[in-house]
Amino acid sequence: MTHAVRGALTRREIVALAGGLAVTGATGLPAWAQDAARKGGIFKVAAPANPSSLDPATGGSGADHTILWTMYDTLVEWDYDTLKPKPGLAKWSYPDPKTMVLDLEKDVKFHDGTALDAEAVKFNLDRNRQDPRSNIKADLTSIAAVEVTGPLQVTLRLKNPDTALPAILSDRSGMMASPANLKALGDDTNRKPVGAGPWKFVSWADNESVVVTRNDAYWRPGRPYLDGIDIAIIPEAATALRSVVAGERDLAFSLPARLKPVIDRAKQLQIVAAPTLYCVQLYFNYARAPLDNVKVRQAVNFALDRDAFVKATMGGLGEAATMTLPSSHWAYDKSVSTLYPHDPDKARKLLADAGFKDGIQLTIGSYNDQDSVQRSEVLQAQLGQAGIRLAFTRGTIPEISAQFFATEKKFDMLLSAWTGRPDPSMTYALGFDKGAYYNAGRECDPALSTLIQQSRESEDLAARAAVFAKIQRFVMENALSAPIAFQYELDALSPKAKGYKPDLLGKPKFEHISLG
Amino acid sequence: MSLSSKSAVIGRRLVQAVPVLVLSTFIVFALLKLVPGDVAVTLAGDNASDARIAEIRHLYGLDQPFLVQYGAWLWKALHGDLSHSLLSSEAVVASIARCLPHTLLVVVLAMALALLIGIPLGIAAASRQDSWLDGLVMTIASLGVAVPNFWLGMLLVALFALDLNWLPATGAVSLSQSVGGALSHAILPACALAAGGIAEVARQLRSSLVEILHSQQVRTLHAKGLSPSAILWRHGLKNVSVNLLTVISLLFNRLLAATVVVEAVFAIPGMGGLIVNAAIHRDFPVVQGVVFVMVLIVVAINLVTDILYNLLDPRIA
Repeated sequence: MTHAVRGALTRREIVALAGGLAVTGATGLPAWAQDAARKGGIFKVAAPANPSSLDPATGGSGADHTILWTMYDTLVEWDYDTLKPKPGLAKWSYPDPKTMVLDLEKDVKFHDGTALDAEAVKFNLDRNRQDPRSNIKADLTSIAAVEVTGPLQVTLRLKNPDTALPAILSDRSGMMASPANLKALGDDTNRKPVGAGPWKFVSWADNESVVVTRNDAYWRPGRPYLDGIDIAIIPEAATALRSVVAGERDLAFSLPARLKPVIDRAKQLQIVAAPTLYCVQLYFNYARAPLDNVKVRQAVNFALDRDAFVKATMGGLGEAATMTLPSSHWAYDKSVSTLYPHDPDKARKLLADAGFKDGIQLTIGSYNDQDSVQRSEVLQAQLGQAGIRLAFTRGTIPEISAQFFATEKKFDMLLSAWTGRPDPSMTYALGFDKGAYYNAGRECDPALSTLIQQSRESEDLAARAAVFAKIQRFVMENALSAPIAFQYELDALSPKAKGYKPDLLGKPKFEHISLG
Repeated sequence: MSLSSKSAVIGRRLVQAVPVLVLSTFIVFALLKLVPGDVAVTLAGDNASDARIAEIRHLYGLDQPFLVQYGAWLWKALHGDLSHSLLSSEAVVASIARCLPHTLLVVVLAMALALLIGIPLGIAAASRQDSWLDGLVMTIASLGVAVPNFWLGMLLVALFALDLNWLPATGAVSLSQSVGGALSHAILPACALAAGGIAEVARQLRSSLVEILHSQQVRTLHAKGLSPSAILWRHGLKNVSVNLLTVISLLFNRLLAATVVVEAVFAIPGMGGLIVNAAIHRDFPVVQGVVFVMVLIVVAINLVTDILYNLLDPRIA
C-alpha cells in the first residue's frame, strides 16, 4: 500500500496501514490480536450526532448505524476491510436468479423473548418495503413477495435478479426488530426499540445520550464482551476529543484530520486511522449548461490536484479518489484510476474546445463548517489555475444540499461528500440513475441504467466486479462527478480498550471491543 | 408603594406577555419556513426520491398552508401540549424539562459570579477614581468584554480539567442526581460565561457611582459633614441600585442566549444544543417549544425587574 502521503505519518501508523488495519497498541501488534478479550465493563463513547430514529425503518441518517448496530443484528454482515458480504443472522443462496433463500440461525430471540424465526423476518421485510413511514422501501423494490418456506427459512421471490440484496440486508433493511414490539407500539418503537443485538436498549435522551446494556441471551456464544455502552452525543468534534483526553470517554470517532495533532499530544491514547468509503467530491448538475458539456466536466477533473488536496485538507489521512470506490474495496478497478492525472493545461485546452477560451465561471454550493470552508478554499485555488472560477454559496448542510438536489436546482456544482453504501450498485443507482435524488439533473444515459441493472444480476463477486469496472469507466469517462479524496476514519481510543477494529464503511461497530 | 399599584404592574405585564409570546413564536415559525431547507428532506433519509419527500411532506402535514400549520401548533401549545419532535418524536416538553435545568444552572452560577466579583470591583474603582486600582479594574473589565467566552472556556478546560485534573472537561450532571457533581460540571462553563458579565457589572457600576459621587446632592452631603464612606455606602449605592438592576436583568437574558456556544464547548446537553440542532434540521416543534419557554423566562425576568424597580424607587410607577 503505497501512499503519496507516507512522509506525514508516524512509524506506528505505517505499520498499521501496511497491515490493512490500523489499531496498534504499545507492542505494535494490532490491538485485537493481542490477548484474549475480557468480559465486563461499560464502554463510554462520544458520538457526533443524535440518532434520527432508533427504528431502522423510519430513520434517515447515515450516522445512526453505529448506534443501531448495538441493539439490532442484521441478516447479513460484512468483512471489515473489504465490505464483502458474509452471513449474519442468516445464510443466503440463489437457487435461481429470481429467488433468494435465507436460512436463519437457530434459537435466536429478540430482547423481549419473541423468537427470531421466519415469520419475524417476513414481518420485518414486509414492513420495511411496504409501511408508509419506511424510508427503505426503495432498497427493496426488487422483492415481489416474501414467503415463509420453513420455520427458519424465508424465500424472497424477486421481480428481477438482484444480487445487491445481501449487502442491502447488511444495512437498515436487514436489521431485525421484534414483531411483538412493533405490533404493540407502532411508530413509538422509535423510542422503545427491541432488537436481537448484543446489547439491549436502556434509554435515549435527545442530544444527550443513548444507553444500552448486555443482552445475556445473545445468540453468539461468549459475546458480547462489554456489559454496556454509554453513548454521549457530542456534536463538537474538539469537545468530543477532549472528553477522551480527559479520560471521561473511551472513544471519539469520525474526528476531522485537523485534530490529529491533539491526539498525538495526548500520548496515552490509541490512534485509529483507516480507509473508508467517505468520498469528498464535486456533484455536477449535468442536465443543463454549462456542465452538460462533457469537456467542461472533464476539465474540472483534470484541474484537480487530488494528492495535494489530501495533504492540505486531511493532513495526509486520506486517499486520492479517482472513482467512487477506494482502492481496498472488492470492486475497485485500477485501470480507471489513471484517467485524470493533475493537468491544468489539459483542462484549459478542454475548456477552449468547449468554447470557453478565457476560462469559465461556475456556481457552487458548499457548507459553512470549518472543514468544508477549508476544502472550498483549496478547491478554488486548484481550479483557478486552470481558469475555472468558482462563485461559492455557503450554508448549512440541509439548506445547501436541498437547494442543489431538490426542486430549486441552484448551483452548477456542489462540494459535498458521498458517505458510501454497503453495495456499490446502491452508490451508482442513488447517485447517477434516472430520477435519483443525488443526481441533481435527474437524467441518465440508458446505457448506464442498463449497466447498473446488470451489476445486480450475477451472484459471483468477480463477475459483478467486472460490471462495476464498466460502470466506473463510464461514469469517469463521462465525468459525471469529480471524486476528490477518501477521508480516513480517525478515532481516539482509550488505552484500556482492546479489540477495536475500524471498518471500510467508516461506521464503528463495538462487537470486538473489550476493556482490559 | 401600594398593593394595588403592584398588582396593576403585574397585571399589565402579564397582559402584554400574551402578544409577545404569540408574535415571537409566529416570527420564528415564519423564519423557519422562509429560509431554504426542509425537515421533510431530513425525515426522508439518505436515499430519498422526490416522490418520497412529497409523500413525507403529506404524511407529516407539512404540505398544509403555513397559517394552518402555525395555528395547529398554537392551539396545542395553548392547551399545554408542545407537540413532539418531528425527527426523534421525543415530547418537546420532555426535551425542555431535561435541558433547561442544565442551562439554568450554568446561567445562575455565572450570574452569581458576575455579581460577587463585579460589584466589589466596581465599587473599588469608583471610590478610588483615577487611581492605579481604578486603572487595573477597568483594564480587567475591558479584557473580560473582549475575550470570547468559548476561547476562555477552552483555556479553562486545558488548565483545570486536562492538566490539573481538578474538574470534569465535558458533560453535565443534574442537580437531582448529585449536587456536587452538578456544581463541579457547571463551574468551568459558568466561569467562561461570567467573564463578560463581571466586566459589564464592574464598568456600569463604576460609571454610575462616579456620576452620583460628582452630583450636587453628594456635595451637599459632604458639606453636612458626612464621611466619604457613609456617603458611598448609604447614599451612593442606593442611588445606583436601579441602574444595577437594569444591568442585571439585561445580563441574565444575554447569558441565557450566550450559553449556546459555551454548551457546545463543554458538551452540556442544554437548551442551546437543543435549539441549534432543531433549527438546522427545521424541526419546528422543538424550535417553537424552546422559543416559547425562553420568551416566558425573559418575560418573567422583566416582570420581576419591574416589581423591584417599583420597590427601590417609588418614582417609577
